[in-house]
Amino acid sequence: MNLEYSLYPGCVATTREIGYELAVRNVFDKLNIKLNKVEDFSCCQPACLVHSIDYVKGLALTSRNLAVAEEFDLPMMTLCSSCYGNLSRAKYLLDTNSKLKDEVNKLLGKVGREYKGTVQIEHVVTCLYNHYKIENLKKYIIKPLNNLRVAPFYGCHIFMPAKYGAFDDPEHPSKLDELITVTGAESLEYAEKTSCCIGCGSFFGKVSEEASILLAENILKSASEKNADTIVTTCPFCIMQLEIGQIKLREKDLSFNIPILHYVDILGLSLGFDPDELGFDLRRININPVLSKL
Amino acid sequence: MITSKELLNNLISDEKLGYCQNCGSCTASCPMAKVIPETYNPRKLLQRIHLDPEKTADTEDLWLCAWCYRCTERCPQGIQPTEIFLLTRNFATDKGKIPPNPRAIITEILNSGRSMPYDEFIDELREDYGLPPIGKIPEKVLEEQRIISGADFIKKVKK
Repeated sequence: MNLEYSLYPGCVATTREIGYELAVRNVFDKLNIKLNKVEDFSCCQPACLVHSIDYVKGLALTSRNLAVAEEFDLPMMTLCSSCYGNLSRAKYLLDTNSKLKDEVNKLLGKVGREYKGTVQIEHVVTCLYNHYKIENLKKYIIKPLNNLRVAPFYGCHIFMPAKYGAFDDPEHPSKLDELITVTGAESLEYAEKTSCCIGCGSFFGKVSEEASILLAENILKSASEKNADTIVTTCPFCIMQLEIGQIKLREKDLSFNIPILHYVDILGLSLGFDPDELGFDLRRININPVLSKL
Repeated sequence: MITSKELLNNLISDEKLGYCQNCGSCTASCPMAKVIPETYNPRKLLQRIHLDPEKTADTEDLWLCAWCYRCTERCPQGIQPTEIFLLTRNFATDKGKIPPNPRAIITEILNSGRSMPYDEFIDELREDYGLPPIGKIPEKVLEEQRIISGADFIKKVKK
């Protein structure tokens, strides 16, 4: 199968989570999914920050990226669930409110751009599930992860709100579980599967930072009670939050040691990649509990 | 021209917010309220915004929404707390009230086109892993961002 996308790299993966970016590039290369570089993308301008200053101008700044993508006539491939959610939200709001779309296009017109509404927004995981499809993935699995116990962590922006660009049912999701099962690993049920890491609120100040650590504690505790070898997410922001949360909890004498991985990491292992081809040496939490089970 | 006020009024009109059954699904679903219930309660925040958006814009808990959308997803009456909170923040920022961390990140996005600062060390590390360089976001793109933002927006953000 050959699929081709305009790569929307985002800020987190390319500057803070390059191990994850490496895993995506290697895995997609093997699966013949082509990612093209686009020069004119910038930050997705998260609504929780930029649109909080000015809702309409914020939407225009986000939509500038959508207008750029439309010029290439290929779907966008986002690496981060928050980019995916934020871009999908802008698309939904403009596609359902013609007055707002006109207003945004007035602003985009000042720089010679236009949002038409033709863009298709995808994410690493939505591409694998919806377009590459599980039956094709199966053909590439050469090292099934038979003993690995995985706690899936969906993250918010890949499916909420459903109308903005739902990958799955936000209340009873199953698609990430299905993708995990394909690798041979066991996908576990646990209480915090659809919880929030507060990645997008943790940097607003002291109160939200402390709240994010309390939430990380809930998530890690819930997964470790089920003897999970790893928590697997769809989003590099969740990875950062749950790794850094774990390090901060150690200062409070709560010593969790649960590797946090992205779905492509475990997919990569089952495709036969070595840990260094997946950037595992860059992980903040030691990955040995996963490697020792293979 | 569409203003934030107009968009907010559409979402919090007496008719629409009158649909609220006070069921508390929003607060029960909120990850922030789960861990800091004494400090944050989206149902009460929504009521305060309905009564007096301008005054509520001054409160710090308006900036505690972590933007997960669970409340919006679950509200049985289709009320959209997440979008309402974002719009209400516009009134706070009109008065120059932006908490320090968000201000710093938005300034970074305006200056560099990225929410996380870039320096050459990042490309050196990327090279070690065989990844292509990302470099700085082109000046042309930054100029487009500045033109779309306009002087008022930039003045609001930059101190």
